[in-house]
Amino acid sequence: MSSPAIDALEIGALSKIMDELDYYQILNVEKSASTKEIRQAFHSSSRTFHPDANRERTGNLREQCRQISKRVTEAYCVLRDSRRRQAYDTKRAQGTSLRIQIAEARNAHVEQRKAERCGATTQGRQFHGKAEADLKAGNLAGALQNIQMALTFEAGNAGFKSMLEELRERQKAIS
Amino acid sequence: MAEIAVGIDLGTSNTCVSLMREGKVEVLDNVYGERTSASVVHFHEDGSVEVGNSAKAKVIHAPAETVSSAKRLIGRYHFSEEVEKAQAVYAYEIVESANHGVRIEIREEEFSLPEISAMVLREMKQIAERHVGEPVTKAVITVPAYFNDNQRQATKDAGRIAGLEVLRILNEPTAAALAYGFGMGLNQRVAVYDFGGGTFDVSVLEIGKDIFEVLATCGDTFLGGDDLDDRIIDLLADQFVADHGVNPRNDPFAFEKLKLAAENAKKQLSVEEEVHISVANVLTNEDGTALGVEKTLTRAEFAILTHDLIQRTFKVCDEAMQQSDLTVRDLDGVILVGGPTRLSIIREAVEAYFQQPPRQDVDPDEVVSMGAAIHAASLVGKAQDAMLLDVTPLDLRIGVAGGLAEPVIERNTPVPIEQTRTFTTFQDHQESVQIRVYQGDHRMAADNALLGEFEFSGFTKGPRSDVKIDVTFEIDADGIVNVTAADQTTGEAASTQITLSSGLDEQQIEKILEEDVAGRVAAAVVPPESAIPEVAEIVSEPSVLDDDSLFGDGSEDLSVGRPDDLGILESTEDDDVGDAGDLDLLEDEELIQLTEESNANPPTDESPEDNGFFDTSGEDLAGPEIELTEEEK
Repeated sequence: MSSPAIDALEIGALSKIMDELDYYQILNVEKSASTKEIRQAFHSSSRTFHPDANRERTGNLREQCRQISKRVTEAYCVLRDSRRRQAYDTKRAQGTSLRIQIAEARNAHVEQRKAERCGATTQGRQFHGKAEADLKAGNLAGALQNIQMALTFEAGNAGFKSMLEELRERQKAIS
Repeated sequence: MAEIAVGIDLGTSNTCVSLMREGKVEVLDNVYGERTSASVVHFHEDGSVEVGNSAKAKVIHAPAETVSSAKRLIGRYHFSEEVEKAQAVYAYEIVESANHGVRIEIREEEFSLPEISAMVLREMKQIAERHVGEPVTKAVITVPAYFNDNQRQATKDAGRIAGLEVLRILNEPTAAALAYGFGMGLNQRVAVYDFGGGTFDVSVLEIGKDIFEVLATCGDTFLGGDDLDDRIIDLLADQFVADHGVNPRNDPFAFEKLKLAAENAKKQLSVEEEVHISVANVLTNEDGTALGVEKTLTRAEFAILTHDLIQRTFKVCDEAMQQSDLTVRDLDGVILVGGPTRLSIIREAVEAYFQQPPRQDVDPDEVVSMGAAIHAASLVGKAQDAMLLDVTPLDLRIGVAGGLAEPVIERNTPVPIEQTRTFTTFQDHQESVQIRVYQGDHRMAADNALLGEFEFSGFTKGPRSDVKIDVTFEIDADGIVNVTAADQTTGEAASTQITLSSGLDEQQIEKILEEDVAGRVAAAVVPPESAIPEVAEIVSEPSVLDDDSLFGDGSEDLSVGRPDDLGILESTEDDDVGDAGDLDLLEDEELIQLTEESNANPPTDESPEDNGFFDTSGEDLAGPEIELTEEEK
């Protein structure tokens, strides 16, 4: 097996800063990279860090490669999947975390849709809930009032907006 | 220094060993000139062991002392469906050992499944040594892609017992793709349709020069060539009942004869349009007359007989295509693996499904061991690099409250991979937490295979939400799972290389090595004359069968069987989850709570090496108290 094209010093240095890198940096790709580019980056990183490529290394160095390899896979796993990638980008834009749970990232869009439907803030959820209850009880006016209240807390919530529109339509139809 | 490393395809029905030398892959034959050997172990009265096709010939006369299809049982719990099925079919004694393990009892001696498989592997080791003239100590061993961690671990143990350093546990379809594309500079997407003796696997790969990336792998663990045989056995048995009014299924000797006839008829149907099956002496009547059975089976009839089984494979293919985000039109090639794929009815169905003829240049019986040999050579630096980037076939899950199992690493995630989840305790000043790890695709914990369970108490005791426990799940390149738990603040850790309770612990393996169990496999000698005619007597009956083609060149090589199944534990009582769930998912946080376990006594009748595994057959996987009750009885 040809020796991997990275020396011990580089591996040591990389393994130290691994926790400070985001997935794009780990794979060494642009934020705008295509899926194909991400796959190619995964292949070339695997060639360097995959345990099979480092069988000749021993001790600490081998362990460091193994640890890096797992991160490389994780980064690939998130970035190759459009839903996970979107969830990751959103998370990165919001906060400081450089990693994301891969199993949860898949479902992130479901959560997002749920948030859109039921509200992302406590008050938004509260008033949306009241609106739903009013609607069930046949209190159209109350529902309208409550969804408008919900919208004051979450002005951009598309789910709330469409509910408001729908309720207005129904009110028109009645009157 | 020359390092020799072989590739072994340890199949359900047949085993094959290959070696890469001077850039070429050779399938190594045994002293009989056979390129595959039956995965059958026969125990002689003196305790010595015979392996291979000659051992298989013994099954008719000594079914209780001849173990076949050990792969179906390896890495399984005694209560699993597959073990139950085997007990009904095989005449050898299957007994239960501690912690619901499985042992085979032969001539009042008990053997674990890794020991049985080790004997087959030892035979392969000896075949290889005969070819190279020096000791062979390293191997890559293949397993069905759908094998879970328990089965992989047990196979690795088998290698060790056989005296082999297992360089890698490799997925069969991946090995096949490697043999197909190695050194060809291909840029292709391929599907590997692997219909083995016991399991069906399909993998979709992207080959980019020397990188083999598995995009998805799916399987049906209860579907294999044996199921095709069973349909013919049923046909013959029904005919026999109609003719003589006696059920031959109840007699192990009669059953073995029908089985062999069915298997041969199946093979013959891949070359002939019609086969006349005739077994002269299935059973001997009370008055001493031999009762036989005759039946003519056409290819078309056989196709109807097995239609539903073959269609089931395409459901799995649908899933694999979907998981890899491809359509059949995106595929550049279809590779067939496993003896049953020689059947024209399967080839035609595959061609129709994938809208292209499968590759003809790949030998379905040998391709897996060849791929394993290439990878073995590459791992010891004797072949150019070929990177295999594989995936985990099953969701890895952790047990949480409500009898549920939350996925931590989803199936078809590339390996090696690691994920850490943070948990908190369920109650203030909780003493310990119980961590259960499952593999499988089901939300209900009980429907998945329990890989292991361990207790962690090395954390700071305190108010519930103050305690933060990191549980790290790792799947290595062999597909083997490792789980560790650590206190976030103190860094104190507990870890387990998860091992099946019925598996072997380090101490047991060392004892087996000391006893040199695999050493019972005698070095290969010229076959005893008696071995061949015994079988020929049965198979020479069918008029269209050509004895030479059946037994002249490795009789059983048409039915290489490999995949076994996955061992998802049968669901018991889903509703009986109680509220004693161990972990609690908190809605808005990533924290998950672990319940108080201190009131539950640790299992008393288990050795610490077993990591305190619990009964998974019991009613309630989620409720530790119930499990403990089960365990203590």
